[in-house]
Amino acid sequence: MQLPQMGYDRAITVFSPDGRLFQVEYAREAVKRGATAIGVKTQEGVLLLADRRVASKLLELETVEKIYKIDEHIGAATSGLVSDARVLIDKARIEAQVNKLWYNEAITTKELAKKICDFKQTYTQYGGVRPFGTSLLIAGVDESPRLFETDPSGALLEYKATSIGSGRNVVMDYFESNYREDISMEEGINLAMIGLGKAIESELTPDGIELGVVYLEDRKFRAIEDEELQKYVDTANETIKQELAKVK
Amino acid sequence: MSEQRVAKRSLPKLKYIVIRPLGYPMRASYHEDPEIDDPKVFEQYAKEQWVGEVVKKGKLLFDSRMFPDFAFEVISTEPSEGEISNSTVILVEQDYPLFEPRVVKDVSFDDIVGQEEAKKKCRIILEYLKNPEKFGEWAPRNILFYGPSGTGKTMMAMALSKAAEVPFIPVKSTQLIGDHVGEGARRIHNLFDKASQVAPCIVFFDEFDSIALDRSYQELRGDVSEVVNALLTEMDGIHENTGVCTIAATNRINFLDQSIRSRFEEEIEFKLPTLEERIKILEKYTASFPVRVSNDVNFITIAKETDGFSGRDLVEKILKPSLHWAIIDGLHEIDTEIFIKNIRNAKKIQSKPPKGMFV
Repeated sequence: MQLPQMGYDRAITVFSPDGRLFQVEYAREAVKRGATAIGVKTQEGVLLLADRRVASKLLELETVEKIYKIDEHIGAATSGLVSDARVLIDKARIEAQVNKLWYNEAITTKELAKKICDFKQTYTQYGGVRPFGTSLLIAGVDESPRLFETDPSGALLEYKATSIGSGRNVVMDYFESNYREDISMEEGINLAMIGLGKAIESELTPDGIELGVVYLEDRKFRAIEDEELQKYVDTANETIKQELAKVK
Repeated sequence: MSEQRVAKRSLPKLKYIVIRPLGYPMRASYHEDPEIDDPKVFEQYAKEQWVGEVVKKGKLLFDSRMFPDFAFEVISTEPSEGEISNSTVILVEQDYPLFEPRVVKDVSFDDIVGQEEAKKKCRIILEYLKNPEKFGEWAPRNILFYGPSGTGKTMMAMALSKAAEVPFIPVKSTQLIGDHVGEGARRIHNLFDKASQVAPCIVFFDEFDSIALDRSYQELRGDVSEVVNALLTEMDGIHENTGVCTIAATNRINFLDQSIRSRFEEEIEFKLPTLEERIKILEKYTASFPVRVSNDVNFITIAKETDGFSGRDLVEKILKPSLHWAIIDGLHEIDTEIFIKNIRNAKKIQSKPPKGMFV
């Protein structure tokens, strides 16, 4: 039995008596249906990690994208409705280029995150539309590493380490007790990998994850792949296995 | 006579008995069926006649004073056989045999895998039920269990009652909704009256959301306010319900009435089992399989395949059908493949959003 929320969940423009916007809350549920994506700030830069295991072996791997390059120095990870994510990523890329044309300088990560959130917010206030069912983790390096989370309401929060999607609670629990601010990039990647491994409850594989990093020194977003990725995956799998063995 | 004495010496005194009015051996036109007016007065009246009687379930007790030879049947006793003494509580079953205290025998805390948080909190209640006086006005009174179905909420309440050795009064919340307006409230008061008679005890409401629904749903279900208000007065303890511990279980905590939720000192969450817990559950339950489980069955693989399954899902949807298939096919050994096949079947039933829409 799904009880109606007294009609307050029919339109996004209608508040419930206790000040809630149910459609926006439902959009957050859509985000929870997405696969887990993780962002971690480190001393040396910022990283994004995402779970992109595919359901069928007939599917071409490249079509499942979770982490996108937005600008030279900014990357974004998505969780939630695929189609909404694509629109938001396009918007982000355009905003980055617009900034370059108008001001002849690269957009800052914070400015970009704000632009995305302003865009999302309009979809919670006008009639005839629905909110975006997607959250983004926007990671980049301005003066220092930055990591923002945007949610369907348009709220903008900066995190030291965070996660969106189905495994959020598990990963956040793990980070709460294990994250330190003074970690190196390598330690950060390991931390994120173990968090993801715990969330998906199965062995990590290089094909099943995506990893993107922006180092402070070169301020370039790049994806980590192949042997380099394999090395991190092996380390994380080993750690998780050892922990599991301890429990048994 | 001497035989009875022997029996008397070796039998314990009864804690409580439940009797049901049965009727006369024969009926004539002038007979009328007696109605019990006040349970307290009746208890005194009954004891004056029956103290010293040795009873067990099924025995008939006859009235000898007001309605000579009117019979009552003993429906249940605690312990299962014994002597009625002055301290025995005599309960008369009313029109509807809804709330029968019973003694839990077959569930213990060890049967519940995981839920450590909940177990820890249950120890407080356990302490209280063993020594109600120790807590005074700071007694834990109402506890709410919530979480997905099949995660052991009912089991936990039963295990608690067993560990504390107190009667367990299971209430299917749907039973409390009467046919007529006002009946629901009366049944709830009735229930707590009975509970305080056998205290210390545990009153356990299953599917609590069906009666403690938020009062804003009054439009949908007209009796909501009435039932909720009755619950509120009982749970507040306007009447001294010393030693009565109320445990309610629900899987939709958000639908509960806010003022009812505030009556619970503790809300204990029951979570779906983690990978490690699923492995433990599988190992635990396959241990008692009548068909041998192959040595190379990999429980880790099975546990990994069953992400999001509750403890009950694992037992009822995976282990049970697997065993049944093995028996029907006449297999001597169960291997991983059989389990995996049943997992596939079980997953088909689960409603999942279309793959590919979310990433």
